[in-house]
Amino acid sequence: MKRYLETGNFGVAQAAVMAGCRVFCGYPITPATEIAEAMSGLLPRVGGFYVQTEDETAAMHMAIGAALGGMKAMTATSGPGFILYADPYGWAIGCEIPLVVLNSQRVGPVSGITGAPGQGEFYLSRYVTQGGNFETIVLAPNSAQEAFFLTIEAFYLSERFRTPVTVLADQLITDGWEDLSIPETDEEKQAMGLRFAERKAHPGPQFYPPTDEIDIPPVVLGKDTGALCSDWTPTEEGYDIETVEAQHKHAYRLIYKIRNHRDLITRHESLFLDDDPKIIAVAFGTPSRVVKTAVKKARAQGKKIGMIRPISLWPFPDELFKRNATYLSVELNYDGQMVREIQRAAPRESSVHFFGKCGELPTVAELSQIFDDLLQGKPPRRRGWETEAW
Amino acid sequence: MDYLATEYLRSRKIPSTACSGCGLGQCHKALVKAIDGVGLTVSDIVWGTSIGCAGRQTFATWKGDSFAGTHGRVYAIARGLRLALPPEKRIVLTVGDGDAFGIGFNHLLHAVRTNAQMTIMVCDNLGYQSTGGQFGWTTPPGVVTDSSPYGMFEPNWVQPERDVLRILKEAGATFLARHVSMDGASLVESLTKALQNNGLSLVHVVYPCTTNFGKNALGTRKPVEIFNWIKRHAAPLGKEKEETIWRTGIYHDASNSRPEFSTLMRRKVDEIRGRYS
Ligand code: SF4
Repeated sequence: MKRYLETGNFGVAQAAVMAGCRVFCGYPITPATEIAEAMSGLLPRVGGFYVQTEDETAAMHMAIGAALGGMKAMTATSGPGFILYADPYGWAIGCEIPLVVLNSQRVGPVSGITGAPGQGEFYLSRYVTQGGNFETIVLAPNSAQEAFFLTIEAFYLSERFRTPVTVLADQLITDGWEDLSIPETDEEKQAMGLRFAERKAHPGPQFYPPTDEIDIPPVVLGKDTGALCSDWTPTEEGYDIETVEAQHKHAYRLIYKIRNHRDLITRHESLFLDDDPKIIAVAFGTPSRVVKTAVKKARAQGKKIGMIRPISLWPFPDELFKRNATYLSVELNYDGQMVREIQRAAPRESSVHFFGKCGELPTVAELSQIFDDLLQGKPPRRRGWETEAW
Repeated sequence: MDYLATEYLRSRKIPSTACSGCGLGQCHKALVKAIDGVGLTVSDIVWGTSIGCAGRQTFATWKGDSFAGTHGRVYAIARGLRLALPPEKRIVLTVGDGDAFGIGFNHLLHAVRTNAQMTIMVCDNLGYQSTGGQFGWTTPPGVVTDSSPYGMFEPNWVQPERDVLRILKEAGATFLARHVSMDGASLVESLTKALQNNGLSLVHVVYPCTTNFGKNALGTRKPVEIFNWIKRHAAPLGKEKEETIWRTGIYHDASNSRPEFSTLMRRKVDEIRGRYS
């Protein structure tokens, strides 16, 4: 095991190379640029390619092209670039092309504050492309170490599910300097729980089976399999077709290959859930670290607070919200995004609240105050729109 | 076409779904003829297409590995694919004028800049015809379309002072030609040269759209009349007349004169790898 004091960006790049990524296509954008920079240094040394593209649309299309040719590929960006990925993302989903996309969220909308963390792309990461009729996989790290781990996991899941996988990070994770351990031996990798999947090629002729099966090798061009892939609704062989039946089969596969194998994707961290929590604080990514401290502090004071941190964000882990409780969603945005999913997933009698900050983390003091209010059955004290989800 | 069709095309895609009288078939046939002439086989080529008539009608016609990208994006996809494919595999793209010279122009320029091997046939039906007949970036001046009801008055990409091939030449393309689809032997000859260039080749081919362009711009759907109109406005380079819109022939041939994108990348990566291993 090698230990570093390094950034999440460094961890992500190390992970990608370890997972077998040999093509990185990117367009510079703060705070994901350092991933591109790291890849430009690392990849040639292992026989891989770094390409700086003309824009984000090209970055993801080019990564898709390389993946279609049989290489493991990745791209990384931030919000203004991620929205441009909406175009190629759909193509990769429809053609079932394995790929890893990292989005380091910053403050928005538009360019916003480039060097401060945000979580405004929770929904964008779910509805990441046009047209609907798909399910997607999104993993959210809360540290440099976890960014390393989840990048490798993203490559693994993308191969098994034949789909692009998003790692939804934020500026503090990619830019922040932290203690980071990188395993070197197979035993160390295993001990860390890292999973790896080889890139295979589909032999044809039925490239798009209308089932929810996974572990079907992806379509690879250039292997003389007669492979067909396109942006149109495909027949099983990949011919373009305009029938509702074909669309139905295709959509069924895109949605249920993921939903019916959730157990392979789902991850979360929780605290004090089995100890009768009255309030459950929910957070993902960097703010979850402050929330954890606040929850532990409250527990030390004998207050019945628990915590859920979804690590896999999509498919949304409805099963974590079966308990009747008072939920508090803590997010790095002011409009309230995850809170709506909690509200949908939680039992009807539950009450669901929101506390948003943006560009900076909430403080333990702020959270303690809100916990106290909620414990007394009062809604969080008004702080203007920071506690209004809508 | 029989021999060519059985050798290179998918029987399931014959006949094509293009409108009757459409000139797209001529373009397609010329390209397959050139491929045959050069001695390339089905497994030598990965064929890519885009959206619009040119993309949709040619997708999956090639017997071998094929893809269709979204509008304008095939050059970026092909550049990524180029890195992953073995160097001896060739990429051939059939795209439309809107795809290449409008929505995809930036990607095309960067594919040209890096001289990524791809043989691009731009099948130009003089506007957006699969969406019903709007003007495009090569629509001739004065022409009435669904979105230029007062006649096309914007400058276009084929006028001599801003010929798109000139831009592509300056950007570094290593083979460029222009034809009309009825050019027959000379079109096949240009496509042959394009295929022999290990770099970015682009052949711009104007073809008649009987359904929309003919009807809107010329007031006729008769293939013969549209063919004649296009022919009348085309002339070989150096033999232009007053009415000439399209200057045809080989525009620029610097085949195999500078490193191909993926070859350059591989060479550099090997060099760096050697330095650190
Ligand atoms: S609309 Fe025009 S260009 Fe398109 S297939 Fe029909 S005739 Fe050909």
